[in-house]
Amino acid sequence: MVEEISDSPSTSHPNPENSESSSELDPITMRNTKPGFKRLFLSLSVLFSFILGFPLLWKSIEIYRTPLPFPQIDSFSSEIESNPLQFPCQFQAIFIGFDSRVSHGEVGSAITKKMYELNPNVSQCGHCSSYDVSVVVDSSFDCVGSGNLRGSDEDADELLKNCLGNGVDGGKVYSVVVVNGEEEEVRTVVGKYRHAWIVGKVSEEEAVWRVAEIFAKVFVNGGNEGSSIRGEFMPVGADGRIVLSFSLLNANPQDWIYDWNFREIDETLLQPVVEALHPIANITVESQVLYHTPKSSFSYWNDEHGSHIFSTKDLPFFVNSNEWHLDTSVAAGGRSKVLQLVVYIPSANECPLQLELPNGDLSKTNGFISPMWGGVVVWNPQSCKKDLESKDPVRHVISPQDLQKLFEILMGQLRQLLGLKSDNLYVGQSGTSILLGSERGFSEWELDVLSRKHICFNLLSCATTLGSLSRLVQSLPRMIIMDEIGKQVKFSLEAAKFALSNVSIGMYDASAVSSRHSRSLAEDAFFHPSIMSISYYSFEHCFAIYSPFFLPVSMHVILAALREWKRYKQENKKYLAWKTKAQVTS
Amino acid sequence: MDLLPISLFLLTFIIFSTTTLLLAQPQQQYQDQYEEFSEELLLKPLPDRKLLTHFHFHNQAPLHNHHSFSTHHHLFPKPISHLVKKFHIKEMELSFTQGRWNYERWGGFDPISSSNAKPPGVELWAIFDVPPLQVDASWKNLTHALSGLFCASINFLESSTSYSAPKWAFQSDLGSLRYGTLPREAVCTENLTPWLKLLPCRDKAGISTLMDRPSIYRSFYHSQRLHLRSSIAEDRLSSRIILEQTLTVVLQPDIQRAGMNYISETSLQPSWSLSSIFGRKINGRCVLAKSSNVYLQLERGLVTELENLLKDTAIFAANDTGSENFRRNIGFELSVNPSKVHKEVEKSSSILYEYPIKEYKDSEQFDLGLTWKHPLVWSSPHAPLYASRFLTGSGNERGAIAISLKSTESTQGFVAANNVKERCKLQVNILQMVPWYIKVYYHTLKLFVDEKPQAVIDFVERMRVSPSEDKVSPGLMELVLKFPCEAKSAVLNIDFDKGFLHIDEYPPDANQGFDIPSAIISFPEFHAGLQFSDNSLRKSPMLSKFQEKSRVLSYTEVLLVPLTTPDFSMPYNVITITCTIFALYFGSLLNVLRRRVGEEERLLKKKDTNKGLLLQVLAKLSAKLRGRSSESAQPQSPPPPSSFISPKLVLKVVLVAGVAVTWQYYSQ
Repeated sequence: MVEEISDSPSTSHPNPENSESSSELDPITMRNTKPGFKRLFLSLSVLFSFILGFPLLWKSIEIYRTPLPFPQIDSFSSEIESNPLQFPCQFQAIFIGFDSRVSHGEVGSAITKKMYELNPNVSQCGHCSSYDVSVVVDSSFDCVGSGNLRGSDEDADELLKNCLGNGVDGGKVYSVVVVNGEEEEVRTVVGKYRHAWIVGKVSEEEAVWRVAEIFAKVFVNGGNEGSSIRGEFMPVGADGRIVLSFSLLNANPQDWIYDWNFREIDETLLQPVVEALHPIANITVESQVLYHTPKSSFSYWNDEHGSHIFSTKDLPFFVNSNEWHLDTSVAAGGRSKVLQLVVYIPSANECPLQLELPNGDLSKTNGFISPMWGGVVVWNPQSCKKDLESKDPVRHVISPQDLQKLFEILMGQLRQLLGLKSDNLYVGQSGTSILLGSERGFSEWELDVLSRKHICFNLLSCATTLGSLSRLVQSLPRMIIMDEIGKQVKFSLEAAKFALSNVSIGMYDASAVSSRHSRSLAEDAFFHPSIMSISYYSFEHCFAIYSPFFLPVSMHVILAALREWKRYKQENKKYLAWKTKAQVTS
Repeated sequence: MDLLPISLFLLTFIIFSTTTLLLAQPQQQYQDQYEEFSEELLLKPLPDRKLLTHFHFHNQAPLHNHHSFSTHHHLFPKPISHLVKKFHIKEMELSFTQGRWNYERWGGFDPISSSNAKPPGVELWAIFDVPPLQVDASWKNLTHALSGLFCASINFLESSTSYSAPKWAFQSDLGSLRYGTLPREAVCTENLTPWLKLLPCRDKAGISTLMDRPSIYRSFYHSQRLHLRSSIAEDRLSSRIILEQTLTVVLQPDIQRAGMNYISETSLQPSWSLSSIFGRKINGRCVLAKSSNVYLQLERGLVTELENLLKDTAIFAANDTGSENFRRNIGFELSVNPSKVHKEVEKSSSILYEYPIKEYKDSEQFDLGLTWKHPLVWSSPHAPLYASRFLTGSGNERGAIAISLKSTESTQGFVAANNVKERCKLQVNILQMVPWYIKVYYHTLKLFVDEKPQAVIDFVERMRVSPSEDKVSPGLMELVLKFPCEAKSAVLNIDFDKGFLHIDEYPPDANQGFDIPSAIISFPEFHAGLQFSDNSLRKSPMLSKFQEKSRVLSYTEVLLVPLTTPDFSMPYNVITITCTIFALYFGSLLNVLRRRVGEEERLLKKKDTNKGLLLQVLAKLSAKLRGRSSESAQPQSPPPPSSFISPKLVLKVVLVAGVAVTWQYYSQ
């Protein structure tokens, strides 16, 4: 300050002195000293220090964001979307008892051509990448004598399994054996493993036609013509788990009480299924018996059928969510999928209860499914007469035979829920094929179809989840992203890559498992609690906190710098004007 | 020769054992599947014209030690068995209570008051069958599961500041017990509905149809409790889960205007019937229940009064005063004849009337009613000491908690019973849990016996204190005190400071104050239990529960401590004020640094010569107001006095508006 005071007169005082010395000096337009530099320097240095300090402030209020691999996510999702996942499949057709006039290659190409005709949408996700058909005629199949396949289907199936082996490298080779015989009736059977056989009198063209259809429709597509439930509706939880929750509902226990021996069923019937489906989902089974659970839809008496009827129109209202406490399970924490499989026992005043199909017939299974929710079966007691004598209703146990039947229906419903056919016949254009049922509920080729669909669905959903996560993260620049999310995204991408590479070499089980992993990790990342929380520290909030200081101060600093700059220019002009004048005068 | 009989014996033994095995197998199979459910209702007139209704549901199922969750039950609720399996619960009790049990009037020495009188809000304790290190994790998961199951905010018990591990208050001495309460929790139908869902008949049939929500929630006290116990036996077949659900409601019956002419109605106890208190009747039993009974209990005091009445009137003096007569007694009248009457074995004993619901048909309904004929005054048995707790001190800084214990007539009885001994002592266990923001100074614990200060050491048998840790754990004090029986009163006093919470830690209604959970006062030497000679009562789960010797337990009041609550908009105010001050300081400093004093003086002098006095003052003012901008920028043209709307100002406003508009535009 002292300096300044001493300085100020030095810059301004000489003016009057000078004005005396040189009469031309106009104090308004000219000055004879160089304008002071100090205040300009001061205000500019303050401004610059502010500007320099700004990045530091920016850094200090920065929030933690783990770098996410955006390019990898984008490339992964575009890869999944642009070229759908294709699986290598191998087909083998074995002809026995034909006079081979044409070469194997020609037959093979004929089959391939037919397959393309039957199944044109090869580019769909989860399909076989190419129809690679190899043809064997007669020679090496000694064990399949022409008579051997005419025994029972089960024996023939085992025999073929032994003969064909199942590929040494664990690869999936689908084969069809065609045995030309004398029978008029042509029998087509699809076995439990990965082969089918055709026995009967068939011409070569017809054989090719049938073989192609079995390959294209059954082995590749799962025999699902209309594809009623698509891959998007795979009822598998995001963590790769399914909880099968079986409930036995006694609509009115005052009339009768039915109980079941679920433990036995669980051990004998359900465990093989659970094991069979292991690569697709981790399945747990639980059961309960509920009472006082009336249905909420209406049924009426029909004399013709001699039973109470509920029609398909009433199905949306059948499940009574007020009274049916089909609780979600405590065991199924997180994002597991609970499939409710319900056995409904009607009360005495609505017994027997039958489901009427739209065409007027009664449903054979007396049940229905609701995709992604589960299935309901109505089970009518043997005699619908209430025992009036005994005051206390007797506790019945559903007989093992009835229970077996019930569970066959329920298994059919489960198959439908998973997107497979529930009956054992495939009616194609070339004829009807018998599909052999497996005691595990799912035959191997069906599991292959499921795996393919499942891998495809998992990878698609993983890609979309990661894609939306990356879009979300990029759209909210001030959202905190924890390290854990970054890790989950990274592992998810790795698992997806692993699944893709496994797919290309045809390892279904491993790739199903890793695709499941990738999806569950992607979902974990997306639904991480830190993303869901309100810790989103918005820019508006930040602005509101810092603006009371920075707005007035920056106003001062900028205006001061501007003014000093302006004044300096003005004074400098004055000085220059004086200088030129001085030069002119001198 | 010698060998033959032995081998024969062996053979017969083997045959015998195989046959027994064969015989035993279906039995075991049956045992394996064995699940039973029973429902019971106890009605008890209370001395203060109220009626206690106590619903008791008992459900038990075998517990299989399978690794998976694949337990298949027929009656037992699936969610509960999953809970037991998942969290390895050995024992658990959860209660939802509204209202406070009146220990003075409703008694404190019977099984209901010591096991069903609960502190207001939610109380949860659980014992886990896991290694000590995993107990806390199990507890946290359990609170979340329960809060989902019962639609309550039990998950607030997850934080380590809200639960503790007491050692002596409960029966178990294990370290795997956790205890927590939420005194503020509001209890309503959304908690009752999931609780009812656990019953096989829900409220569709049986005794539970009586649960009319408006009547229950209009009551003086209601407590809904769930007690879970898994008994793991050596042989796996006999390990079981026992689920006990009780609902205790204290209701005020509406006064029924009956034709009472000779006694004023006000002195009579109000008469009641099930339909008058609940508005419903029992239609029939739950068909799934093994037993379904309604009991009416008359307390000891009431029975004595009735006996006196009987003696006074002397009408029945000739008759033997058997229990049969109570049905026709002149004290009151029952609308339905009980099928059985049970009397306690002791001399002055309570009476139980039993009504099995089994017999009632669908057409007729069960509606038990009681009409009083004579005014009767009696009192319920009290706990040895009547406990109450209060706060002393004022202000927002410090205070003190006082627990006062007053002797009741039971203590006198105890003295009378024990006077053979030289010195009779009365043991009292106290458990007090305080949240961390109530900073209790444990060294200030003072004890007054019969209003005289006494050294704590003389009376404390054992003491366990775990001081609170800020934002980590609550403080816990467990005392085992022994008082001389003849002591009339005792007061425990302990000082505390009120702590400060972080602004995030205040609940939404911070101004209401903070609750200190109830203290638990228990009397381990006293056991509440009814003794019936009739063995058939053992079959009833509720009565066998009553006959168990449970220790007498009472809860004190919940205390409400007001803490200093901040102004919650304060952070922003502080930010704004400090920023403004800083900005002012900074701006003025910058202005001072840039000031040219000499030049200003010169200009002022020049103006002095030019203008009059008034203009001079105005110019000075405007110069003050606008800083020195006009002088520096346009030193030549002195600003007009009313130049607040100068082009510069307009420019500034436009600039700011422009910045705002562009900001708005780009930020979207």
